[in-house]
Amino acid sequence: MPDAISPRGLWGRLGRWLVLLFTFLLALSWAIPLIWAIIASTRPASEPLGRGDVWFGSYLTLENYIRAWSLAPFDLYYVNTIVIVSMILGVQLITVTLAGFAFAHYRFMGKQLLLFFILLQLMIPTTALLAPNFSTIRVLGLFDTRMAIAIPYFGSAFGTFLMRQAFLGVPRDLVDAGTIDGCKWWQLLWHIYLPPSTPVMIAFGLSSVIWHWNEFLWPLVVTNSDKSRPLTAGLVRFTQLGEIGAQWSLLTAATLIVIAPLFIVFLIFQRRFIQSFLHSGLK
Amino acid sequence: MKRSILWLLLIIVALVVAGCAVSAPAEAPPSEAVEAPAEEAEAPAAEPVTIQVYYPVAVDAPIAEILKGYIDAFQADNPNITVEPVFSGGYGDVKTAIQTAIDGGGDPPALAVMLATDLYDLINADNIVPMDDYIGGMEDGQAYMDDFFPVFLDNSRYDDKLWSLPFQRSAVVMYYNADLFKENGLEPPDSWQALADAGQALTEKEGDTVNRWGIEWPSGWPYWLFQPLAIGAGQNIIGDSDVEVYFDDPKVIEAVQYYIDLSKEYGVMAEGVQAVWGQAPSDLASGQTAMIVHSTGSLTGLLDQADFEVGVMAVPGKEAGSYATVPGGGNLYIFKGAPQEQQDAAWKFVEFLTQPEIAADFSINTGYIASRQSAYDTDAMQEYTAQVPQALATRDALQNAGAEFSVQNLGEVRNIFHDYLQKAYNGEMTPEEAMAAAQEEAEAALADFK
Amino acid sequence: MSAPPQQQRKRRPQLLPYLLILPTGVFVILFTAWPTLLSLYQSLFRQRLNIAKFREPTFIGLDNYTNLFVDPRFWQVMRNTTIYVLVTAPVSIILGLFFALLANRALRGIGFARLAFFHPTILPMVSAATIWMFFFTPDYGLFNTFLVNLGYTGPQNWAGNPHLALPAVMIVAIWKNAGYYMIFYLAGLQNLPVDVYEAAVLDGANWWQMLWRITFPLLRRTTLFISTIAFIGAFQMVDQIFVLTGGGPSRASTVLLFYLWQERFENQNIGKAATLTVILVIFLLIFTVTNFILSERKEDNAYA
Repeated sequence: MPDAISPRGLWGRLGRWLVLLFTFLLALSWAIPLIWAIIASTRPASEPLGRGDVWFGSYLTLENYIRAWSLAPFDLYYVNTIVIVSMILGVQLITVTLAGFAFAHYRFMGKQLLLFFILLQLMIPTTALLAPNFSTIRVLGLFDTRMAIAIPYFGSAFGTFLMRQAFLGVPRDLVDAGTIDGCKWWQLLWHIYLPPSTPVMIAFGLSSVIWHWNEFLWPLVVTNSDKSRPLTAGLVRFTQLGEIGAQWSLLTAATLIVIAPLFIVFLIFQRRFIQSFLHSGLK
Repeated sequence: MKRSILWLLLIIVALVVAGCAVSAPAEAPPSEAVEAPAEEAEAPAAEPVTIQVYYPVAVDAPIAEILKGYIDAFQADNPNITVEPVFSGGYGDVKTAIQTAIDGGGDPPALAVMLATDLYDLINADNIVPMDDYIGGMEDGQAYMDDFFPVFLDNSRYDDKLWSLPFQRSAVVMYYNADLFKENGLEPPDSWQALADAGQALTEKEGDTVNRWGIEWPSGWPYWLFQPLAIGAGQNIIGDSDVEVYFDDPKVIEAVQYYIDLSKEYGVMAEGVQAVWGQAPSDLASGQTAMIVHSTGSLTGLLDQADFEVGVMAVPGKEAGSYATVPGGGNLYIFKGAPQEQQDAAWKFVEFLTQPEIAADFSINTGYIASRQSAYDTDAMQEYTAQVPQALATRDALQNAGAEFSVQNLGEVRNIFHDYLQKAYNGEMTPEEAMAAAQEEAEAALADFK
Repeated sequence: MSAPPQQQRKRRPQLLPYLLILPTGVFVILFTAWPTLLSLYQSLFRQRLNIAKFREPTFIGLDNYTNLFVDPRFWQVMRNTTIYVLVTAPVSIILGLFFALLANRALRGIGFARLAFFHPTILPMVSAATIWMFFFTPDYGLFNTFLVNLGYTGPQNWAGNPHLALPAVMIVAIWKNAGYYMIFYLAGLQNLPVDVYEAAVLDGANWWQMLWRITFPLLRRTTLFISTIAFIGAFQMVDQIFVLTGGGPSRASTVLLFYLWQERFENQNIGKAATLTVILVIFLLIFTVTNFILSERKEDNAYA
């Protein structure tokens, strides 16, 4: 598709350059919060921010990172976050593939009804139901565990719909050919449905990881102690340093510790990241 | 392609299994730790006991290390007791954590540091045990009790029993740039009028831009920093009762009006609600303001950041020569749900933590006011206050303290008070209207408890 | 060839599809359906865990609801929520489309622009809000500096001013989400058929007409998809309120989910929290179903 905003003629060319400039300026300003945070975190703690003096300090230092790291068990938070996110993704991939396959491949009684039922989970997210879900966790005896954070997400309506969509896009002839050859359902799934759907799986996996890495409220509700808390809940502790003031250099350092891994991975793989979203055929 | 998917799945499955195995729900109730029985010279060999202590991280000090140091020292003296600290966030987090632990079917810890004002909530939820028996069993329980700063015990008594002991206590103080004051020939203010005047002298404006405020007075969570004004006007917002509030007392309304006047009439501070608790200390340090009202807990950080002499004093009262402040901070509570041996062990730790030497050490390292008066006579403290006289000033502010806001159904009543106080600050209602409305709603909220 | 095997399979009733859906179904029942019913039930009782005499639930019928409906605080929260949802979702979507249009060109360095617009999505909201906490600081917060440079002379006390607190949390939400929707629109834009545009160019259409008459209508399905997630997301996006304003001042920035959390976990008021949950669920259903119906109708018209 030709550039949507692309005026023609001499004015057109000038216009295009202006639009480009505008785009980059806008993008830059969109990125300023993060840029500022990185700069502020290198500021010596003894130099408070003030009017006209909010960027670099008189020298660069890593002391804030060291102090932030020592004030909260970030290593434990990292482990927890990784475990939680992996658990969720692992189980989700299985459940959504199976369910998506069932919806795409078979006809059965109550199919539409079941589809709509699962749609409920999209409409009423877990967080909205945090009060009763908390009770359920308590009844299951899972309070203050990483499993408690992960378990409501093991079934994913979003993923099911995505996989169903992807599977529906597999050409019928391939499926029929497989069936004629005598493939069992899991062979059909593995050899015919899955391979062309990997972009969608990757896109879904990425959204799942991002969403659950960054999740805050539900983990806050069902956990109590550092042994099961993820990074987000740990960071909030810094912003609630009750008796003293906000020390921006410390806060930004702690924030960056939380952001860094996902962000660095994102930077490295950003092309693939965005590509997989684009080509996942999400419509 | 398929093989890589296979590997991916295998890795994920492995992680899932690892995750499930590692996160098998650990039971909250601490179990009896089996340790090599130590030979106690005096007492008969005691049963090994493990207690959990929930501790809020409320200051930017290496509290975890300091506390662990105390735990190590304590465990050396008491080899049969193991202390497990749990750092759960701020005061609110600790409270929620314990509530939800009990709510979630677990047992509470044996000991926790929680806000002094959480007293009624804890008693109502039947969570804590009184300490009178333990004190009765001490060698000189009376002297022990007398040595605490009396105002710190205000929120510990109910129904003729003692329910908590002070540990990390603070107070509201006014910090000021002493050098600036001297340069301008000003004395530290000793009345409301003097404060306004000093503020005016020190406020610097260039047209619409303010280069320096006279004072920053945070009001995002307003009750604590407001109370000294009410006390200074002659009437605290609470009295001796746990079910009475005095929001609509004329003197309290005067205090609200004064706060508003400071910005509207005298122009010495920003208008409306100042959500600046976080940056007030660094604003003072960087010269954006000449005075701030804040917690004694910020002293250490301030001294680090400021390159001028930092003055500390209680908040001036209305009449000349009067001052006011209000305490804050956390007390030690022993929890009922924990088994008796744990409660007893917790008491031993409480005794340890409240020794004058430990109190002094804690105060020096964190900026909290030491809970015991004799702490200020210890060598360590004498040395410290010689170098940092402000630490004595924070203690002296206590002479003018009123009780901290604490009533039944505190959360709800406090929210009501905050709502209306902020409406008054923001000019949405007059102080009279706001306080009258607050009084009415607060009384409704307290009705069930009378 | 006889009837394809596919049809033969349809005729035999089988257990397999149900078994395949079962795992997903179990979790949906456990964490979506059951909790909704539980809330309905609990909303008929009065129960507060932190007040001794209310610790056991007592049946009060619809009193929880009637008490809420006469409580001005509740209406304030509902008003805030409505504004929040009706502003952040559409604005984020429009911005997302705008960014996509801007960034949809094959130029060196455009990747930077896409990255810049998209990166807030991968930050945890609490981190983003922590940074914005500084940006909203009166006097020297960078957002205020930026506004002042543009000639703004109004109030700067974002977190403390009851008129600015809600806009502040909305700004953070929009900043965070616009890039996410941009990606979907980018995908949509790249899948648009080129020939339609070539024909339009031949017909002498200018870029504005192409935008309105071709691009927007063709993006309708993407927009439907995005608006569904946007609205549902808007109800859930409260993390920044914890960090920035705590719901204040005077509840000016409290939205429904935040209020719900406060009632359940700070005031331990089980009955009220359940009531609020039910109301939240009803709202969510209204929004999503309306959204769906409206878009389906437009779809039909598009091909009429």
